[in-house]
Amino acid sequence: MQDKEKSPKPKYNMRQNSAYMISLAWRVKEKKVLVLSLLSAALSVAINLINLYVAPSILSAVENKVPISELIIIILCFTAALIICVAAAAYVGANTLFGRIQVRLSIIALLNKKASTTSYPNVGDEKFGKLCAKAGEATCSNSQATEAVWTTLTNLTQNALGFIIYLTLLSSLDPRMLLVIVATTLVGYFISKRLNEYEYRRREEVAEYETQMQYIDSAAENYEAAKDIRIFNIKPWLEELGDKAIKSYAAFHRRANGVYVWGRVSDLVLAFLRNGIAYAYLLNLALKNGLGASEFLLYFSAVGGFTSWVSGILGDLSTLHRQSLDISTVREYIEYPEPFKFEDGDAFEPDNTAEYEIKLVNVSFRYPESEKCVLENINLTLHPGEKLAVVGLNGAGKTTLVKLICGFYDPTEGQVLLNGKNIKEYNRRDYYKMFSAVFQDVSLLAATIAANVAQTEDGADMEKVKKCVAQAGLLDKVESLPEGFETNLNRTVYEDAVMLSGGETQRLMLARALYKDAPIIVLDEPTAALDPIAEAELYEKYNEMTSGKSSVYISHRLASTRFCDRIIFIEESRITEEGSHEDLLASGGRYAELFNVQSKYYREESCK
Amino acid sequence: MKRTSGKKRLSWKEAYKINSKAFRLLWNRYPQMFLSRILCVIWDALTPYAGIYMSALIIEELSSGRNPEILTRLVLITLISAAVISLVSAFLIKWRDEKCAGMYFKVNQIFTKKLLDMDFASIDDVKTHEKLSTIKQNQNGGGWGLYRVIGNYESIISSVFTLIGGCSLTVTLFIRQVPESAGALTSLNNPLFIFAAVLAMFVIAYVSPALSNKAGSYYADRAGSHNLGNRLFGFYGWLGYRKDLATDVRIYRQDSFCAKFLNTKTGVFGSNGIFAKYARGPIGAYGAAAASVSVIFTGLVYVFVCLKAWAGAFGVGLITQYAASITKLSGGVSSLIGTAGDMKNNAAFLKLVFEFLEIPNTMRKGCLRVGGRACGDGAGGYEIEFKDVSFKYPGNDEYSLKNVNMKFRVGEKLAVVGQNGSGKTTFIKLLCRLYDPTEGAILLNGTDIREYDYLEYVKLFSVVFQDFKLFAFTLGQNVGARVAYDKAAAENCLRKAGFGERLDKMEDGTETYLYKDFSKKGVDVSGGEAQKIALARTLYKAAPFIVLDEPTAALDPIAEAEIYEDFNDIAGNRTAVYINHRLSSCRFCDDIAVFHKGRLVQRGSHEKLSADANGKYYELWNAQAQYYNS
Repeated sequence: MQDKEKSPKPKYNMRQNSAYMISLAWRVKEKKVLVLSLLSAALSVAINLINLYVAPSILSAVENKVPISELIIIILCFTAALIICVAAAAYVGANTLFGRIQVRLSIIALLNKKASTTSYPNVGDEKFGKLCAKAGEATCSNSQATEAVWTTLTNLTQNALGFIIYLTLLSSLDPRMLLVIVATTLVGYFISKRLNEYEYRRREEVAEYETQMQYIDSAAENYEAAKDIRIFNIKPWLEELGDKAIKSYAAFHRRANGVYVWGRVSDLVLAFLRNGIAYAYLLNLALKNGLGASEFLLYFSAVGGFTSWVSGILGDLSTLHRQSLDISTVREYIEYPEPFKFEDGDAFEPDNTAEYEIKLVNVSFRYPESEKCVLENINLTLHPGEKLAVVGLNGAGKTTLVKLICGFYDPTEGQVLLNGKNIKEYNRRDYYKMFSAVFQDVSLLAATIAANVAQTEDGADMEKVKKCVAQAGLLDKVESLPEGFETNLNRTVYEDAVMLSGGETQRLMLARALYKDAPIIVLDEPTAALDPIAEAELYEKYNEMTSGKSSVYISHRLASTRFCDRIIFIEESRITEEGSHEDLLASGGRYAELFNVQSKYYREESCK
Repeated sequence: MKRTSGKKRLSWKEAYKINSKAFRLLWNRYPQMFLSRILCVIWDALTPYAGIYMSALIIEELSSGRNPEILTRLVLITLISAAVISLVSAFLIKWRDEKCAGMYFKVNQIFTKKLLDMDFASIDDVKTHEKLSTIKQNQNGGGWGLYRVIGNYESIISSVFTLIGGCSLTVTLFIRQVPESAGALTSLNNPLFIFAAVLAMFVIAYVSPALSNKAGSYYADRAGSHNLGNRLFGFYGWLGYRKDLATDVRIYRQDSFCAKFLNTKTGVFGSNGIFAKYARGPIGAYGAAAASVSVIFTGLVYVFVCLKAWAGAFGVGLITQYAASITKLSGGVSSLIGTAGDMKNNAAFLKLVFEFLEIPNTMRKGCLRVGGRACGDGAGGYEIEFKDVSFKYPGNDEYSLKNVNMKFRVGEKLAVVGQNGSGKTTFIKLLCRLYDPTEGAILLNGTDIREYDYLEYVKLFSVVFQDFKLFAFTLGQNVGARVAYDKAAAENCLRKAGFGERLDKMEDGTETYLYKDFSKKGVDVSGGEAQKIALARTLYKAAPFIVLDEPTAALDPIAEAEIYEDFNDIAGNRTAVYINHRLSSCRFCDDIAVFHKGRLVQRGSHEKLSADANGKYYELWNAQAQYYNS
């Protein structure tokens, strides 16, 4: 399977991306990354040079029978120099990690900020999603581009420095000798590169096997699937597919290694040629021009060293190129255009004493990729203080309607107005301050109960936290915990964390909504795991706690929202019925029909 | 902090035992992998000495005879031997890389296999989850654990062969005598020097890795905070990527909460964090000292070798040979000692690995066959009885079920109702033998179910759990729960479960992949559709017992009503158990069992139970019905 997909030209090139990383390190005050990298390169070259000279120098001292004291001094000098450089290099090496991690962390923070604040439509955008996944991958470990690039830049500096010094050193030799070295190294490099691309060119095939193996591992490790695995005897099924994936993966590597081996063979042939020529040339110098044994050793080692500088530079450049692509992706993601206004929009601070009216005028909405409208021509006003219910079957468009009200999407046609002003004009983040919402999936933080209520760790008003938790009916539970409000949640992060039940989590979410105390409450079928009674109770609890505020409740269970002032029934992208529960039942429309289906088994007269 | 299991140091003996055990585990599974890696390192350890030996001869010849013929011959031998060595290496590496492909997954398979074979009680235990997650964090964070054993054994063998090679090229250093004419330097011939050299080598070879290990121990000893840091970071660094949470994250501005964690420099890995501080202090210092000590040794070797050469014991060529060999040799000793230390450090992590791998399966597994009758479409005459069954979850003091007595009538439709926590789901788990009763017994046709072969017994049940799971393989495989499924039967079951309409729209039919986790060509299914597929899976299994645990939770009212109406049809003449919060679903069951606080409190038909105004059922029914009867 060849990779046919031609990737678009990256927005930034190798030089721009290196500059970006350097200036980023500078900006986040991690200059030590640059200093330590330079030091590390310089020390490596120094150590290399000392090692290059130590044997020939000592050899020539012995050959020339210098006095013992001088011999010992020479050895000591080399040893001392080497100790200083090696110790410094080890110390620098132990310290390079942290600054580099910090720079990567700052990129992770930028990415997470982008991901968690980008205009909501981007979240569902495929191109954005792909960039996001790639950018995330480029920062997920030390070996990824955003951190490993420092190693590449360090190596490149070191190899370039070494190259220049050795070039001067070898300049007394025949330049043809140098040409032979460079030429054989280049040829070897390109042959190997071409062959080693075997896997890269088939990376989609490899990725497919890897995904499969990973998926099977994760399926077997899914504790929630353990019951099904046992009852349906799923083990042989998983193992058969797992073995198949590993076999395909191994077969691929067998083929790949069949290719790579020729790279190594070509290397050894070229090394044979290069060393043969170098030996011949130097032996000739030795025999004809009287080159000494120690000089012979020096030059021969230098030839080897020069080769590795050249191949090092080539390798680093190709690594840098690869990493630059990833860094470019990261930057493109961070710079991805935002359809919503944020800091450039009108600032807005909701005021709990003011009255707010939200009005949808001729609103239609279609997802960008789709042909069909999810909502068509909706006109709806949420009056100040009104309790509004949105009901309908799964897939009718309830959640989309709520997302339009909350400003997560902009209508394809029509407008959403807050007190008569199009919400597009506001800083969208400010507009979100209007809502205390609980959606189907709630985001519990890996933090204390108090922090989960206040959504901040410092500056939480503990009195208010307590009051809200009490109002939500969770105080007894919280006080029964040894750590009380300081109890951590999320067991995958904190091993001492407490697991709240579904109902307790819902109460915590209520406390959080109360703490935020925004003008409008929104409840979107908080969780499917709640049974109908618990759901109805929860809705009534919200109703009680938030009297006087506007609220929007969504459910497919018609009984849950009976208490609302007004119920709108959505079917096939439109509001088809509207009124109080009693009105809707009396009118005998679809609402009444559905209600009858749901209540049928409860009514005695329908007994078989 | 239990997770800092790296803290408890094991003794050398224990460390040796546990490493050998890990080695045997891997060796028995993947002998070729080990063999190929071992041959590779032996080759790599020995062959550099050929180069050292040859170049010494060339230098020697250059500094003495300078005979062109000898020199040419030496150079040719050097070049050819180097080429042959590389050629053998190339093919050894090819062999090794083939055998090692997917090694990471193969090692992980040891863990997944254990999970698949484990008693349900163990896999349902939070402690098991924590053990495995700590093992994985140790693996991913510091590289500790089973995988490290491979590298360690490689390194030990490599060191030993480096030592052997190094020794064979250095023996002559001590044998070649300084001639009498050298005066005071003849004292270098004293055998004490051999002893001193060996001693110095061992002292230094020990000190250097000891210093490195000391530096490394700052990390190993704090694996706990390392892991917690990783977990916090894993949570807050990626919260924004969660599409499902994107609305919540925006309404409550959780980006600021994350930023606080991510922009600090004092986190575990931060440039001002605890490890960074240690690195500036002791870790850096020990590391530098360790590196210097090795250089001092090289310096001493040069002094000794050069003095002997200077005094005339051997020529200059041999200086390079001895210096290079001894440096390599001391590197071998260092790496031997360093690896031993590393294996000792790793032993504590391996202990945890084996604690997990050796979680015992305590469920009694008899060998009785379930009966001559094949598990056909019918109820098959299997009669199950709960006799005074009580059950406590492991580690729990309270009974989840208490003194339950009940008999299933063959072919009947039983509804099990009760509030959350009344023991309904536990009852099902015991019935399907996911757990065994703490007291009392469950009988199949009069015999304790523990006497039956486990797989045989489980064949009797088909269950849709509340939190059922489908897998990202093909639709048909999901229905058949196997690779080679019966296509016609699968389709038939899917249609019966109400999935027909969607199936007809699928181009690849039952060969369509579900979700995109395994195949990119997969399609997504909604929660309601998934439930229908799960239902089809239970039908395909055609077991005499069918158990549905709230199968309508994700369905809207219309779909839910359809399932109710078709229930009798779907269940056929099997014995069916139906759990639902919603009592309305009981109306079509012949028999209702009411659970309350772990006890079976009522049993009978809807008419009978709803007539008893003091009963639990009456209370539950009215609580729900009030929402619909206005």
